[in-house]
Formats: sequence, structure tokens, C-alpha cells
Amino acid sequence: MESLSTSSEFENLYSYLKRFSDRLVEEEDNLRIVVESEKLREVAEVLSKTEGVFLRTIAASDERSVNGFYKMYYVFGIDKIHRNIVIEVPVDPSDPVVPSITDIVKAADWYEKEAHDLMGIKFSGRTLYKFVLPDDWPDNVYPLRKDYTVQDLVKLYRPEIVTKAKEVEAEAAIIIPIGPYHPALHEPEYFELYVRGEKVVDARYVGFMVHRGIEKLAESMKYDQVPFLAERICGICGFVHSCSYCQAVEKALKIPVPERAEYIRSIVLEIERIHSHLLWLGVAFHLLGYDTGFMHIWRIREQVMILAELLTGSRKTYGLNIIGGVRRDIDRDKAKKCLQVLDNIEKEFKNFVDAAINVPQIKSRLRRTGLLPKSEATSLSLVGPTVRGSGIPRDIRKDYPYAAYKYIDFKPVVRSECDNMARTEVRIYEIFQSIELVKNFLDRIPEGDIAVDSWEPEPYKFGIGAVEAPRGEVIHIVITGRYSPYRWRARAPTYQNLPAIPIMLRDIELADAPITIASIDPCFSCTDRALIIDISSNNVKSVPLNILSLKSSKLFR
Amino acid sequence: MVKFVKVIPIAVKVGTVTIKYPYAKPLVTDSFRGAIEVNPSKCTGCGACTRICPPKALSMSIEGETAILRYFIGRCIFCGMCADVCPEKAIKITKEFELASEQVFDLYVDVEHEVVTCKRCGSKFVTSRLLNKVEQKLEEFPKELLYLCPRCRRIEMLSKQTYLR
Repeated sequence: MESLSTSSEFENLYSYLKRFSDRLVEEEDNLRIVVESEKLREVAEVLSKTEGVFLRTIAASDERSVNGFYKMYYVFGIDKIHRNIVIEVPVDPSDPVVPSITDIVKAADWYEKEAHDLMGIKFSGRTLYKFVLPDDWPDNVYPLRKDYTVQDLVKLYRPEIVTKAKEVEAEAAIIIPIGPYHPALHEPEYFELYVRGEKVVDARYVGFMVHRGIEKLAESMKYDQVPFLAERICGICGFVHSCSYCQAVEKALKIPVPERAEYIRSIVLEIERIHSHLLWLGVAFHLLGYDTGFMHIWRIREQVMILAELLTGSRKTYGLNIIGGVRRDIDRDKAKKCLQVLDNIEKEFKNFVDAAINVPQIKSRLRRTGLLPKSEATSLSLVGPTVRGSGIPRDIRKDYPYAAYKYIDFKPVVRSECDNMARTEVRIYEIFQSIELVKNFLDRIPEGDIAVDSWEPEPYKFGIGAVEAPRGEVIHIVITGRYSPYRWRARAPTYQNLPAIPIMLRDIELADAPITIASIDPCFSCTDRALIIDISSNNVKSVPLNILSLKSSKLFR
Repeated sequence: MVKFVKVIPIAVKVGTVTIKYPYAKPLVTDSFRGAIEVNPSKCTGCGACTRICPPKALSMSIEGETAILRYFIGRCIFCGMCADVCPEKAIKITKEFELASEQVFDLYVDVEHEVVTCKRCGSKFVTSRLLNKVEQKLEEFPKELLYLCPRCRRIEMLSKQTYLR
């Protein structure tokens, strides 16, 4: 593989960076470069203007006990040559200010807000407000700083309700979330749509209502316990998170994972993608008022769930990954059963989706709605089927090969229509592709161990682990500690994709908003309720999202 | 053209897929991981499982004259790591998943162990079964040191060596 220094295409970029800082290290797949904060904007500008460079993630870390600084890590990726450029900016603890790069790199917006809330880093040249933490969080308490342990934080922050409960001498207080949350099924997400008549003018997103602070929690857990915590970030594609975490640790400590374990991971990752895409299709049909489609797709999906249980021991939260390998082997019987089930699913799905996607209502609701231009998708560094529906072939499996994807050749599914239909089609064809991939993996899986015997942690090593989740790229950064990760940064695909929703919503019919919001597959969350503010009459009304969505189907009939 | 009508033959062919749970065949496959079962006759109370348990569903405490290994099903995530690390293979993963109960006490399972008191300071520091096990494994280890808690053992060792000099 090419490295940045030997790549002819990025020669200029490399010599530029080399001139910029003498503290530059080229590692196996990262180019790490220390940049002083005054020069950050200049580097960011050059990187954002270089074609093919995307922002992958940003992490803030408290390293005062190690080197006396806070540190910002900006991870830019060059998909073409499978390399990361990690820009490290030391931040003076007495005056933690870094220049904002949001005006240069659009995708950095949320990361800066988050670093401000959790690590207390200030970004000059932009407005900042409480974004992740609740409004009544105590001032000047930055939870990710090493000054606080998890126990300290629990004592420091008490939701208002606790005091209120004491005032009325209640024995216990139970918080029942009603509103933008759905109490049972979905995660909370809240959109305000600004409309003129039936047309959407703009949208605003409020989120982080259930920020759980697991990055902090992991710092107090042992290495081998964290995969199980990571798996619970998402209820639909949890395996990608445990996989990313393990890969990050393995990269940081250079643990050689047995090839068989890599294959098993890839097989389970693809099975997870099949079930997740089927789930999304079902929910999308449901949102469009085609419940027959929903029922049949979920019927087909059930077989995948049972298959996953057979291979891993659980329908979801597989609990398969540990650092250095996997916990369960796929024996011959299981492999045979797996092939049978996949054949059946392929046949049934092909039959059904052909009928479902040709339902006139479905077609007309998906075509030319929720347009996401290629230029916007690039500038926001979007990921997953969302970006592939806009004609950009970004796929982590291909761009930064991991697990068994490095042994296999395939082409990412890309559609260039940029609408909801394009994103739907990407998912449909990816289901077929995933089935094909699993068959291939099962065919080629080598004999051998499924995990390393033992490994030794070594503090302050840096590792990046990335996985192509069903929704897009999941990327984890781990800085190792002695018994637990020193800093663990997890970034899920929806984090990167949500800022695209206001763009997709612009100028569309109100009734198409639910499917458009859903089209990025935002872990489906609590998009169940929307607040409509009519600008002309100043009326505010609250409508459940599924009813809003049905309206248009009726009109069509 | 009217491709979408194809749904009708599919639906007719498939028929009913829901089963009459809980009266029909079991819902889980052979690999399924459910609640765990600790075999009290094999368990030595070493506490390895309590150290690996990610959600801290297993805990070890000393109450009075007994050490208690407590399993709280309410916290269990059914990962089975405890069974993986148990040196005595005393933990079995069952297929039990219908675990709801009206009484929270039903969700606790305790394994009780006799404890050994330190000959010097009188603190309770280890289960007698684990101590026996260690005794068998370390035949040459001086007996008088074995019955001391880690702190007193250190003091004893140190004073012995000083005396020798």
C-alpha cells in the first residue's frame, strides 16, 4: 500500500505538511503531525481544499498528567490511499483556546461544540452554547477531564427533580420522559421544521437528550469489559462498535489478530448489515403507509435474527468480540445452516422487494424527494448509504480495509440520483452484496485460532479503529492506559450524517419530511413526533409523525 | 407494470408465520445464552467472575461468618464472560430467558461460602475452599503463613527475614 510520503498524487500535500511541522511521524496507517494552535487554521484550509480528503473524527483528550496539555486530535482521512492524517494540537491548560475551523471544515461543527461541553476547550471565532450537556448542568464542570471520576460526577449533578421530590417529601422520584422522546421504542431526536404552507423552509435539530457519558464510564472499566459497553451504544448495529473498539486497541498495541477471527468478525458484521437494512426498509415502508411491506420485510428479517443467534448466542448484542479475537467459532454445521438461510433470504427478498418497490405510491414518494447534492455531501464529510446515494463511493470496507475485507474484492454500491430512492436502492443492493460477501467469507475462511492467547497493555499508545456500519462509518479512537483505556472516543455514523438533514428537507413537501429524515437511517430514534410552526398564522400544533406521513399517501389515492 | 400485485401470491403462499408462544416449540437455538447457573459444589469463591462481569451483576461480599457470591439477574447482560473465566468451570450458561418475576428477591441467587479468619489479626480474608485449593497446589508453602491475611503475611515474612539477619 502507498504511504503519504511515497504517493505521487499527494506529494505536494506531504511536502507542505513536512515544511509545516518538524514533529511529524509516519506510522503504519496514520501520519501524525503536531501543529501549534496558531497554525491550525492554515493546515485545515489546505486539507479542506485538497480533493479526496474527508474529516473523519475529532477527539479532545485530557493529557495534563502525561505531558501537561489538553490535546485535540483532528483525524482527516484520504480514502484513496487508505491513510489518515492525525493533526495533534496541544492546548495550554491555563487558557484552553483553539481557533475554530468550522467555517473551513463544515463537518467540524458538532465536534467543537462537544469538546467545549465535555472537555472545556474554547473555540475562538464562533458562538458556542450548551449542546450535549443538560441545561442545568453545573457551570465549569467538564466531565471528561481527569479531575472527576464517574462517582464524583454522579454526586455533582442532580437533576432538578431530586430537589423537588425532597420538597414534597416523596420517597422516590421516577422520571417518565414524554415529548420528543418516545418512552419505549425509539431514541429521542427532535426536529423543528419551519414551513410556509406545506413547504419546508428550514429545520433545526435538538439532540443529546440521553447523553449517557459512556466514554467516561469506560475509563473506569477494564479493557475486556468495554466491548460489552460499546456494543450497547446502538440497539441495531452494536457489533460494529465493539468491533471498532477492539480494532482500535489492537492497532494501538499492535496485537496480531488471527485470520480466522477476522473472517468471523466480517461474517457477523455482514449479517448485522443485512438485518439492519431489512429493518430500515420495513420501517421506511411503514412510514410511507405501506404496512404490508413492513410486515413482509420483517418476516424475512426474522430469519436473519435467528441465524445471528445461532452464530453468536444472542439475537442482538452478540457479545462476540474481545480484544485479540472472537469468543465463538463458526463450525461446519453452523456454516452449512448459514448458507441455507442466506439462500432462502436471498430468494424471498428478491421476490418481495421487486413487488414492493414497484408500488406506485412508494415510487412516487421516494423519487426526487430529499435531494442531497454531491457537493454538500462532500463538504459535510458524510458517510454510509447517505453519501453513496449521492454518487460518492465512500465505503470504509474499501477505503480503510479492516478484518477480512482486505482479502476480498468488491465494489461499493453507488447511486447518483441523490434522492430518497437512491438511498433506498443503495440499501437494497447492499443486502444482496452482503449475502454474497458472507458466502465468500464462509468459502475462504482459514483454519486456526480464533483469539490470541494473551496480550499486554502499554500506556499512552494511540489507535484508530473504523468499521463500515450499516449506517456509515463508525470510528473509535483509543489512547491506552494501564488497566483501562485512558481515553476512548466513539463516533457513530448518525453523528456525521444528521447535519445533512436540514439540507435534504429544504423546499420539500411537509409530508415527505418523515421519510427524508428517516432516509439517513438515524438509528430511527424518536422521529415520532414533530412540531409544526406555521409562520403565516403563528399557530403551533403537534402531530405524531406517522399521521403526518400518511396524509400524503391519502392525497395520492 | 402491475408488479406490485405480486404481493398477493406471496402472502397466500407464506400464510401465518406467528407461532402460539408459549405453547409451541421453543424459540431459541442451541447457541442461545440465557441466565447463568453457579454450581455451589464446584465454586471455590475465588471471585474471578465478579472481576470480569461487565455490568457488575456478580458480586462478592463477606457478611458475618459467610462469604456470599451474589448473582443479580436484573443486571445480567447474558454475555457469559463469567463462564469463560471461571477456573473451576462452576458456571453454566443455561437457556433460561423467561425471567420476569413479581418479587425482586427472586432475581437474586446466592452461593454461600465458609470463610477463614486470619490467625494474627482476626480479619476474614478468604473462603476456606479456596484456601484448601491453594494449599493442595502449593505443597511447599509454609503452613503458618497460609492462614494469615495478605497484610499480616507481609509483616510476618519481613520480621522473619530481619530476624534471620
